[in-house]
Amino acid sequence: MMIRLKNIEKVYRTATVETLAINGINLDIAKGEFLSIMGPSGCGKSTLLNIMGLLDEPSKGDIKIDDQDIRSFSDKKLAHFRNEKLGFIFQSYHLINDLQVLDNVELPLLYRDSSAKERKALATEALEKVGLSNRLKHFPTQLSGGQRQRVAIARAIVGRPQIILADEPTGNLDSAMGNEIMNILINLNKNEGTTIVMVTHDESMAQKTHRLVRLFDGSQVQ
Amino acid sequence: MYKHLFKLIWNKRRQNFLFLSEILISFLVVFAVFSYLTYYYKNYIKPLGFDYNRVWSVSYNGDRLSKNADSLGIFYTNLNKALQAMPEIEAVSFSSSNYPYSSSFISTGLTQGGKKFNNISDFNVGNDYQKVWSVKLVDGRWFTPEDLISKNKGIVINETFSKELFGTAKAAGKLIGDFDDKNKFKIIGVVNDFKANGDFLPANNVMFSQLDTTNLKWASTLLIKVRETAGASFESKLYKFMATTMRSAVEIQHVDEMRNAKNKETIIPMLLFIIVAGFLIINVALGLFGVLWYNINKRKGEIGLRRAIGASGVSVSTQMVLESLILATISVLIGCFFAVQFPLLNVFDIASSVYLIAILLSVLFIYTLVIACSLYPGRQAAAIHPAVALHED
Repeated sequence: MMIRLKNIEKVYRTATVETLAINGINLDIAKGEFLSIMGPSGCGKSTLLNIMGLLDEPSKGDIKIDDQDIRSFSDKKLAHFRNEKLGFIFQSYHLINDLQVLDNVELPLLYRDSSAKERKALATEALEKVGLSNRLKHFPTQLSGGQRQRVAIARAIVGRPQIILADEPTGNLDSAMGNEIMNILINLNKNEGTTIVMVTHDESMAQKTHRLVRLFDGSQVQ
Repeated sequence: MYKHLFKLIWNKRRQNFLFLSEILISFLVVFAVFSYLTYYYKNYIKPLGFDYNRVWSVSYNGDRLSKNADSLGIFYTNLNKALQAMPEIEAVSFSSSNYPYSSSFISTGLTQGGKKFNNISDFNVGNDYQKVWSVKLVDGRWFTPEDLISKNKGIVINETFSKELFGTAKAAGKLIGDFDDKNKFKIIGVVNDFKANGDFLPANNVMFSQLDTTNLKWASTLLIKVRETAGASFESKLYKFMATTMRSAVEIQHVDEMRNAKNKETIIPMLLFIIVAGFLIINVALGLFGVLWYNINKRKGEIGLRRAIGASGVSVSTQMVLESLILATISVLIGCFFAVQFPLLNVFDIASSVYLIAILLSVLFIYTLVIACSLYPGRQAAAIHPAVALHED
């Protein structure tokens, strides 16, 4: 199993309020699976994705990625694990506007032992895969929303991760751009065998994936 | 990683301009302070060249004394004998008004091998001047009464001046021309360098010449080395004796107090400068701290992203500190370009080593300041939770 979540709970506490964001989720995601997560706003989709991406810790429950129990990992080891195994795509792209496209895509490789030449070759290759080989020296602000998301996808795949976690990747795009991005993700899943977990509000996009999980008030309803 | 940081800094050069300017101005201010302090410290650690303890100066007005040089000579000889007969007095010497810490300057010029040497402090002194100040000879000898009748007037110079004139060769016994090179002086001795203007100011080149009957009328000061037993009652007795003998008002000053007053003339402006510079540095430190804090809050999304794609907390913190250090290095390099002009152009005629030490200290200070100001914001950046940072952006 690529991702195994067992009885995951996430509680946010303030001085006066306790909010249960995720309530006892059990989920197994197989290697090479393309899974989508849907649900109304505030149902805990992004929280669940963050927990899968090791960006957030569950309050309760176990999580295994690629059969490794990550609870005992130090901050450094966790960072290394994220770098090697996971790729992230965000709704708002999260590109660094002060860096050119090529440099943005190279970012994950900076935290690995790779030479500048190797980084450049891998980043160029990733940008070719998303059809942006002619935009290497552009800054993100010079690109359209769809192009920015393609840069974000290139950044997510440049390190050849086994898992891609996409948080509403088409949420900021029109339907044509959204379909374009979706096709890139489907091809990645099909051709490279990358496991993809995608949070979406768009039913039509979700229908294109292998499996759909629905959440409501932090609980899995489908 | 360094190439990446350089790219990031270069692409954000407009945003970084204020930070760079702040560091550059701080560097220049700190350089000025350190140049000032290094200069004074280097002077301070040099030996004084004399002992001021238990030396009193007695200033008098000799207008009512005889105008006849021979009579005046006899008068001063008798006065000298009378003073030396006092048990509280160890040594007595007449002097021109420009004795150490007196704020009176008499300078002259000398000529050696056609080359003029100007701004030489000219001390007209009595035979026991060396005893009064415990001046140490490094070559030759001090004046004797017989020197008054020698063909070439004898002079004693200081060690540094001797090296400027003759290099490593011995100066004692050599002749040197006066300002116009019409008369020749004979150097009879060389003494240690003589810091007559205070502990923090450099020792000028000096020339001691013997008071003789022709210039005795210019003598207006008696320098007295007293014994440890000499107290207020002796001072009172001395005052009465001198006032009666000189038939004028006299002023007795303790040279150690004059030294303290003279040193304060340097220390007080120095302290004021340090305080003003200190406030400026505190402001700069707060400014840096604020800028870095603001940057981190502004870059929360980027920090969250870096954490998500593989940066550990330590590497985020290191990146923040490194970025500050790279910016500081750019400012320091520009600052060094300006600072290095001071020794190259010999500004203020101060030794190059003073400026070079000041540059080194300023560089160290700026890096310490930048590291100190960026460590805490860096730690705060490392503590940012990636999920929260990505969500906020």
